[in-house]
Amino acid sequence: MRVKKLTKSYDGKNVVNGVDFEIPKGKVLSLIGPNGAGKSTVMGMISRLIASDTGVVEFQGKNIQQWKSRELSKRLAILTQSNNIQMKLTVRELVNFGRFPYSGSHLTEEDEVIVEKAIAYMELTQMQNQFIDELSGGQRQRAYIAMVIAQDTEYVLLDEPTNNLDIYHSTKMMQIVRRLCDELGKTVILVLHEINYAAFYSDYICAFVNGKIAKFGTVEEVMTKENLSQIYNVDFEIMKIEGKPLSIYY
Amino acid sequence: MKYLFALHQNSRKKVMILLLLSMIFILLYMTIGVRFDHPQLLAYAMRQRSTKVIVMIIVAFAIGAASLVFQSIINNTIVTPCLLGMNSLYSLVHTAVAFFLGTGSVFLRNSNVAFLVDLLIMGVAATFIYSYIFKKTKFNVLYVLLIGTVLTSFFSSIQNTLVRSMDPNEYDTLLTTLVASFSNINEKIILFAVVFMIGVMFALRKELAVLDVITLGKAQAINLGIDYDHTIRKLLLGVVILISIATALVGPISFLGLIVANLSRQLFWTYRHQELILGSTLIGVLVLIAGQLIVEQVYSYAIPISVFITVGGGLYFLYLLLTQGRRK
Repeated sequence: MRVKKLTKSYDGKNVVNGVDFEIPKGKVLSLIGPNGAGKSTVMGMISRLIASDTGVVEFQGKNIQQWKSRELSKRLAILTQSNNIQMKLTVRELVNFGRFPYSGSHLTEEDEVIVEKAIAYMELTQMQNQFIDELSGGQRQRAYIAMVIAQDTEYVLLDEPTNNLDIYHSTKMMQIVRRLCDELGKTVILVLHEINYAAFYSDYICAFVNGKIAKFGTVEEVMTKENLSQIYNVDFEIMKIEGKPLSIYY
Repeated sequence: MKYLFALHQNSRKKVMILLLLSMIFILLYMTIGVRFDHPQLLAYAMRQRSTKVIVMIIVAFAIGAASLVFQSIINNTIVTPCLLGMNSLYSLVHTAVAFFLGTGSVFLRNSNVAFLVDLLIMGVAATFIYSYIFKKTKFNVLYVLLIGTVLTSFFSSIQNTLVRSMDPNEYDTLLTTLVASFSNINEKIILFAVVFMIGVMFALRKELAVLDVITLGKAQAINLGIDYDHTIRKLLLGVVILISIATALVGPISFLGLIVANLSRQLFWTYRHQELILGSTLIGVLVLIAGQLIVEQVYSYAIPISVFITVGGGLYFLYLLLTQGRRK
């Protein structure tokens, strides 16, 4: 998957300006940066939720806008921050939707097995018949991840998956992200605000400032005192914990 | 029958009960106060009443389906397609005809012509307004609501102005066509409405099949491979056309949608539209027949059915608002 010279402006204001990078396959890539740096917009364009003004997102050699939406949904899954459902829907029914691209509303036995596995993988078997709106934030997030797993895509895009979660659930979520990549072999791309989560759980980091890529590279390459101070305009110290660079800012 | 068994087990029972209740209500409606000893009167009453029952079923379906689809598009369960302004457009069209051509005009007196004119004007206006504006506002459904509200006031203001400068006798005659009524509906119109409605449902079959996914929200729907903007646009048009059919048939009645759609949601407790639409149709039939029974047998036509619907619907709306607020 390749991003080529993406630009996007809202009301004449350039939000994303000539963004160009290649997404490493089978790895976890975190998009970080200050508010308004354009990371979520880039994510939106990668996932076809937002149309780019110029530039293309090339997915398996073909412009993402030219893909059939249904075909794309078997290869690429996106989870956004705002998921408020007004309807009465159980966990199981939500995860069933993950099979929609393959079988529509009528699931086959094979689909049922996949759904079952996805629910078990997210440790939701106990509560699979509970309604989504009665779950806690962490549980609900896990239910959505189960749906993404049932969707069985090579690529998984997560827009701020730790948003609104407490430390325990955020950490759990990041461990899940790692497992999606290591155990299920998925390419995961996520937008994160917590740079230390990005540093500890991803393979690559792409840092945005003012709609442009400030730094792109492995965690070690990006997580330096100079880079971070430049990106965020705050003083940083870098420490090594379990061999990974973690930052302290103040 | 086959369709019934394809439903979820829980819902099947509820649908059966609703179906049975509807049958009983229809039977009651058909027989109460009928002179069985007089064959000619009996035949007359049966013809009159069966026509009304059929109209009520059509209206219940059109309003119920339109409301559910509309709520799912907007992703809010307390909106009604009333907000699209079709009721006030209907009133405006009728008032304008009475004002410019007089109440003796063929457009008001011949119900066939009136139906076709209403349907044509509402259909064309709504299709143009909503399809154009929806595109123009980059497929933002909230603008649809806003524009609908503005248009409602706009149409009502014009209508009010016309009414103010109208002859009082003319106004009195006009008023009878501005309230919902199931009387005097021609068989040809009914047939036309049914055929037209089946056509709409057929044209929308693909979109209706993905309604369940639409309720997950825009991002999720796109994620699952749905051409969201296109689908929403077609569904929205379907909603306006269904509402136009029901309104042209019996008059302004779309507030009923709020009641039946929510009762159906409360009863079936599901996201599956197939069941919800079936449920809201049956509940709609129950409400309309019960209302019509009261209008005919208790008040002998002194109070129009829309009064009951508006009062009942208003109270139910308040209840919904209060309970929804508490849940959060």
